[in-house]
Amino acid sequence: MSFSPLIEQLVESLRCLPGVGRKTAQRMALHLLERDREGGVHLSSALAEAMEGVSHCRLCRNFTEEELCSVCADTRRDRTTVCVVESPADVVAVEQSGSYRGLYFVLMGHLSPIDGIGPEDIGLDLLQQRIQRDGVSELILATNPTVEGEATAYYLSELVRGEGIKISRIAHGVPLGGELEYVDGSTLAHAFSGRKPME
Amino acid sequence: MKATLESGYVIHTRPWRDTSLIVEFFSREHGRVSMVARGAKGRRSRGGSSAALLQPFTPLQCSWSGRSQLKNLSACEALAPALSLAGERVYSGLYMNELLMRLLHHEDPHRVLFDHYAAVLALLADGASSEIPLRRFELVLLEELGYGFDLACDGLSGEALDDQGWYHYHEEHGLVEAPPGAAERLPRYRGHDLLSISRGDFSGNARQSAKRLMRQVLAAHLGDRPLKSRELFKRPD
Repeated sequence: MSFSPLIEQLVESLRCLPGVGRKTAQRMALHLLERDREGGVHLSSALAEAMEGVSHCRLCRNFTEEELCSVCADTRRDRTTVCVVESPADVVAVEQSGSYRGLYFVLMGHLSPIDGIGPEDIGLDLLQQRIQRDGVSELILATNPTVEGEATAYYLSELVRGEGIKISRIAHGVPLGGELEYVDGSTLAHAFSGRKPME
Repeated sequence: MKATLESGYVIHTRPWRDTSLIVEFFSREHGRVSMVARGAKGRRSRGGSSAALLQPFTPLQCSWSGRSQLKNLSACEALAPALSLAGERVYSGLYMNELLMRLLHHEDPHRVLFDHYAAVLALLADGASSEIPLRRFELVLLEELGYGFDLACDGLSGEALDDQGWYHYHEEHGLVEAPPGAAERLPRYRGHDLLSISRGDFSGNARQSAKRLMRQVLAAHLGDRPLKSRELFKRPD
């Protein structure tokens, strides 16, 4: 049995969501039609508004519908420190830690030649301009501790080396509450090479 | 098909569903294998996740099973800590991985190439300069994939190269003598340099010639899409 064209269209459209296959999409569509029409209408208008209205922050490239995102617009934050992260989800994670009061730069990815992502695709020209223009004094490289993330961090550090600013890389090591016995060798090696004197 | 604790390196991973990864694995005995690492990104109760292990440049042993092209990774352990490719050497590693991804077919074993790949990684981790090991890797790669050609003989006439002659690379015949005069438009190579390369000697002009030649030969096999990792080597202005 096949659905009528409108339902079919809805099912196919829902499949663009990550991890949603045909079966799940069908379940979602039928749920909205059967039990939650109001929620469905609300979803469709929210989706349309967000897709239309949300673009990138002029400074940090994070998603926002304003010209500046809430972090960049906040005048109480330290404007001389910029933390470079791979994705908007990373900004949320660092913000939740509550330990950072500077600004961000969101790459929206990392250098990954095999996926066809080179330096131009992650907005590095924009970051370079910003450093030269806005009096940034420290750049914190918080790309992921993966091979691609490290390559991105290295590329960035080379890019801004001549600008006379402090460049740091976030520490990698043993997770809190973890047990050394279960930590993989590479992480442990990092933890040892990045050890700190006890104060 | 089932494989148990096969040695190899991860060439690439990409996220799949919420917590899984699709891993491209270059194994010594089975060549390139694609597999799903279920729950690799998920948090385990203790320590890290296996995504930490499934990184390029780490000597691994993996077990997998499955009949289709996409296998299921069932176990994975590190034979040694990840090789740390400092600075620009990581670009060289990514470059080799991109070549492997673009040119290797699934489940086509290349033991010689694998051993050579592992040796180059070890050299890079030791802090060696990357250019000449990369040229050797490219030559072995071409040879292993059946794209090899004789660097000491003219592919048409079969005669040994003339030290003073000029040669073109031709996709079918390999090196052919450049007709005098008409040579300017096509890339051409000095016989002397080609003979040096064939002996594994990359000194003097041979180094630059080898770079140009490999670039031309690889481009012929890579098709329209250029290698992205070359962009990393360019000095930013």
